[in-house]
Amino acid sequence: MINGLAALVLLGAFAAVSCSRMPALVRTFAFQSIALGALAACVAYFTDSPQIYVVAVLTIGLKGFVIPRMFSQIMNRIKVEKEVDPLLSIPSSLLVSGGLAVLAYYITEPLITHGEPITRNALALSLAVVLIGFFIMISRRKAITQVVGLLIMENGLFMAAISLTYGMPLIVELGIFFDVLVAVLIMGVFAFRINNTFDSLDTSFMRRLRD
Amino acid sequence: MIELLLVIPVITAALCYLMNRRRAMEIVSTIGAAVLFVGVLLFVAKVLEDGPIYEGALFMDSLSAYVLLIVAFMAFIGAVYSVGYMGHEYQEKQFGLGRLRYYYTFFHIFIFTMMLVCVSNSLGIMWIAIESTTLASAFLVGFYNKDTSLEAAWKYIIICSVGITLALLGIILAYASSVSVVGESSNALDWTTLRSIADSLDKDLLRIAFVLVLVGYGTKVGLVPMHTWLPDAHSQAPTPISALLSGVLLNCAMYGILRFHIISTEALGPGFSGSLLLLFGVISMVVAAAFIIIARDVKRLLAYSSIEHMGIIAIGFGLGGPFGVYGALLHMLNHAMAKSLLFFGAGNVLLKLKTKIMEEVRGLGQHMAATAALLFIGMLALAGSPPFGLFISELSILYAAVTQGQVVVGALYLLVLVVIFAALLWHIGGMVFGTPSERVQPGEVSRLNIWVMIVLATALLVLGLVIPGPLASLLDAAASLFGGMT
Repeated sequence: MINGLAALVLLGAFAAVSCSRMPALVRTFAFQSIALGALAACVAYFTDSPQIYVVAVLTIGLKGFVIPRMFSQIMNRIKVEKEVDPLLSIPSSLLVSGGLAVLAYYITEPLITHGEPITRNALALSLAVVLIGFFIMISRRKAITQVVGLLIMENGLFMAAISLTYGMPLIVELGIFFDVLVAVLIMGVFAFRINNTFDSLDTSFMRRLRD
Repeated sequence: MIELLLVIPVITAALCYLMNRRRAMEIVSTIGAAVLFVGVLLFVAKVLEDGPIYEGALFMDSLSAYVLLIVAFMAFIGAVYSVGYMGHEYQEKQFGLGRLRYYYTFFHIFIFTMMLVCVSNSLGIMWIAIESTTLASAFLVGFYNKDTSLEAAWKYIIICSVGITLALLGIILAYASSVSVVGESSNALDWTTLRSIADSLDKDLLRIAFVLVLVGYGTKVGLVPMHTWLPDAHSQAPTPISALLSGVLLNCAMYGILRFHIISTEALGPGFSGSLLLLFGVISMVVAAAFIIIARDVKRLLAYSSIEHMGIIAIGFGLGGPFGVYGALLHMLNHAMAKSLLFFGAGNVLLKLKTKIMEEVRGLGQHMAATAALLFIGMLALAGSPPFGLFISELSILYAAVTQGQVVVGALYLLVLVVIFAALLWHIGGMVFGTPSERVQPGEVSRLNIWVMIVLATALLVLGLVIPGPLASLLDAAASLFGGMT
């Protein structure tokens, strides 16, 4: 069950790579976050720890609903064209992501041997999600897609935290949630300003500063 | 009681937000920073006398007290300089009162986040605080709302957030290795806990954790090759903020790495984390030197010089031993002061001549004599010439390299320092001497700015001649936290 949900989170990352339009990308991110929240709820059920339930609810609420809503509002307000504009075509992006997933398994192999049995695979899966999120950030040019990439990385991290340690101390988790929310808000503000200044969300216009 | 200290900048920020006259904001901001500085001094004295203070998730030992002292001192200096600098730009109608209020509010929030970095015992809360420093200062970097400052702010927030996300993975791994020893207790992520159980932590996990933290926080420190945001952010931010970013923010991020370095030294021996710090330090110095030579924009020059000095500090901690650690700690303070001095000088020039391009600035000595003299003194100090403080700390690190048989590192270090000395002399010397290209009205922009710079120059001179007793004992106590001090 837990492995299945973790795999679903990874699948979400792959689906995000294959999105060619921004609303679809945001929906995929929401779906991935809900899968992550369900995973957290399962871990909470099996280990009987109430604080992970809090994390699960927060993940589903914030990342599954609040943040995607904010994104769609931003996109409506600035009426930007909805194409993702990948630097690398979608089929080759998927190929790269596949390679990253294999790499993640390879890296974590020495660590997995002494992990907890129920979550043994989850570390490799979460590292794969982190890497794919990072890949989305560097291969997509729009400001908002970069933020979604960052959030996908963060989802991978949460999966690692939940599966490896059954969650960090609650105060730390709450703090991280708060930081993520504020970061997305601030990035949204900057996305507005970038759109006003450059008439586009395309970050490749930003080439003024160099030596 | 530590909370009291943390509350000061928050209250100051709130009061600044409520003020609606320029003078009132400036007075509140300066008094707030002064009160903060005095408060930090009291706490430092307490730590020196009674040892570390523990209060739940917060704590203060000699290392945090020392970095906190740098933060509070530079914050005070920066707040006073802001009055002259931002006040002048406000008078020139570069921005309105609302923007000024926004500046002072975020200024103090930024200070608050940096203080939180220094006093959090839980590594998780420290991570949250370091991420908050990025968020708070991103608004200050993008303050002018031009296309270039937006670009700088966007790069800054994105690159640093990615870096810090990797650091979070490192912290999760460290927590995993700690939980398997002490069980799921709320203090399993506390630095003091981790340090006391360092021997029994999982070695493999800890190695990966340290690498991730080094890369992650190293992005904020500006270690090459994760430094790309730094010259942009430093050159686009308002000058007092550039000085704070260079002098304090980078030190705070370095402090985050040091906490992990200490744990990893206890658990794995000094070799692993030390040699990584050494490697990144040397690369940063060499690459920064190349960019310092070709720099045209004075604020970018100073930003690359910050990368170089962070490299020096990393080398000092990487070498370890009494001389390496002591030199690196002292260098954190020295660099903060010297770099602020130069940024302030460049800021005065920017206010008057409206340019950051060094070739367009000639003959400062003739029309801005005080700024020119202080800029030149600052340059000498920054390049590490005697009798200024940086000479002592750089020499101490060199001594550590030579006595430990790291001849290659020592030789490279010395070579880069000489090259940078020549480059700085050429760049800054060119600005100070020569004949002005057009008739410029002689005179300074603000007397207050000059006084701030005189204070910094004097402090640098004093630290080069003698280290005051309390500071010396604080440094000794902080250095003793690092392993391998025999």
